Amino acid sequence: MNTIIISAIFGVLMMFSSISVKRVSAYKYIAAFGLILLLIMNIAETYGFQLFHVNTRDMLRFDRFGLFFNSIAIAATLIYILLSGRDVEAVGKNTCDLFVLIFFVMCGIGIMSSFNSLLMLFLGIEIISIPLYILTGSDKKNLKSNEAALKYFLMGSFSTGIMLMGIALLFGATGGFALDRPATMFGPLPVNVMEVIGLAFILVAMAFKVSAAPFHFWTPDVYDGAPSVFTSFMATIVKAAIFIGFIKLFEAKAPDLGQGWHIVIALMIVATLFIGNITAIFQQSVKRMLAYSSIAQAGFMMFALFSQNDTSKEGIILYSLAYSLSTIGIFAILIKMKDVTFEGFNGLARTQPVLAATNAVFLLSLVGIPLTAGFWAKYYMLASVVKMESALWLVIVAVIFAAVSVYYYFRVIQAMYFKEGEAALATEVKPGFRFGLILLAAAIIVIGVMPNLLLNWLYF
Amino acid sequence: MGIFPFLLQAQTAANTSANYLPIGIQLFFAIAIVVVIMVVTHWLGPKRKTADKLATFTSGIPSHGDARQPMSVKYFLVAILFVLFDVEVIFFYPYAVNFKQLGWDGFLAVLMFVGFFLCGFIYIIKKGALKWED
Repeated sequence: MNTIIISAIFGVLMMFSSISVKRVSAYKYIAAFGLILLLIMNIAETYGFQLFHVNTRDMLRFDRFGLFFNSIAIAATLIYILLSGRDVEAVGKNTCDLFVLIFFVMCGIGIMSSFNSLLMLFLGIEIISIPLYILTGSDKKNLKSNEAALKYFLMGSFSTGIMLMGIALLFGATGGFALDRPATMFGPLPVNVMEVIGLAFILVAMAFKVSAAPFHFWTPDVYDGAPSVFTSFMATIVKAAIFIGFIKLFEAKAPDLGQGWHIVIALMIVATLFIGNITAIFQQSVKRMLAYSSIAQAGFMMFALFSQNDTSKEGIILYSLAYSLSTIGIFAILIKMKDVTFEGFNGLARTQPVLAATNAVFLLSLVGIPLTAGFWAKYYMLASVVKMESALWLVIVAVIFAAVSVYYYFRVIQAMYFKEGEAALATEVKPGFRFGLILLAAAIIVIGVMPNLLLNWLYF
Repeated sequence: MGIFPFLLQAQTAANTSANYLPIGIQLFFAIAIVVVIMVVTHWLGPKRKTADKLATFTSGIPSHGDARQPMSVKYFLVAILFVLFDVEVIFFYPYAVNFKQLGWDGFLAVLMFVGFFLCGFIYIIKKGALKWED
């Protein structure tokens, strides 16, 4: 509850701070302060301290898993603001409002990690999506940004419509919005066709929001067109939050769906991995490659949806963090580059050794090389499926595609270290930024060596 | 009291299709009035067309130019803000209907709503969204 309320109130307060605070460079510190406050309050709530006692009538249910995810999302956003806050200032005139929108997204994330009613799921998705439409189009003078925003808005609202239809069908079938199965006098309500169709609709809409194939078509255009700072935010923290909601929803509903559910999800995973990885190979722009890589990573995150056991729960937490941190780092470097094609990275190791070295760590983490956080993230995901003992073929497919992904991630490393060229930066890099990158890379390696350092927080 | 006793029963009876009868009657009259007025005026009204009558009426001044001109975006901004606030006012209706039953809790909730509402209003004024000239 703390996260939802404080992020909303702080968002409104910050909105008004733009009236009195005129110095543009001050906003990112205000935002960072707000996020630290949010983080402290969320951790306090994890250990039983609530600022407000609101009767949510069981529409929201706060559990350890959701609150811990909130902490991770807030911490990742804080890192994101500290690393890329200066680049938000470069986007448009209304800098303060852009930060405010990020706070409103945090409010939506708080709902996504705690909803217990389909209505709240819908609200959470919308509170996340609407600020994102605006952030995508925030570079008003840029035609590509406008195109991306319009595309995202039209397709996003369409998918929301499909989701609402699904929720309506579910309501018709079960007579309520609650996630728990309603009981009748004669035991639990039997599953009927309408409910399955409704769930299929919601599955389509959620798959759209996390950009899983075959609903991924918007992703490359939107991620490519949006200002890079916001692509970084959309592709990482927001996507992980929607995955948490996705998993929460189908953890409650999947037992009703029987065996067919696993086949559908397995097909979606294979399609997502295939399209994401194979298309990423052919990209010339690193930004667009990262958009496809985010589709491919979504395929891995869907393993948590497939297996739904304890390992997968730990896995999705690890995956959210590992993937978010690495991608935020790569984007933070990408924004500074003058040329975002692979050639633009040629010879970066000579001109900017720190940037190149940290970028290499982030890329290795995305590939899933041991000693980086990404390795354990992928390990837990695959282990959760291995534990099911029924879908080993899926694990083999995933490993093959993980090997394919090495090609396009290593292309960047190859460009940075082994190609001749003068990689030019668009903006001057400050020592603080380098220091932040080093800390981030260190964090990724620390989690890569000792993942339990993170996972223990889930239980203690 | 009785010509339409079912109208009075409607509140106490359980959900039956008879409850929807008043709505049906209202719907019928609403549509019927529109249809009748449109048909009758077409039917009774004389039709004497002259060039002057068919011209666009602009307060006696001869019309000139094209109506499809680029319009200031400000107009849309004001229109959108109007719709936004207009729609939010609708939330007062359910509150007004249940005013007594909701008591102080309901009052505080609505007060909070109005508070946020006001925040938005102050924000758009301070942002200069309602300033017509710039």
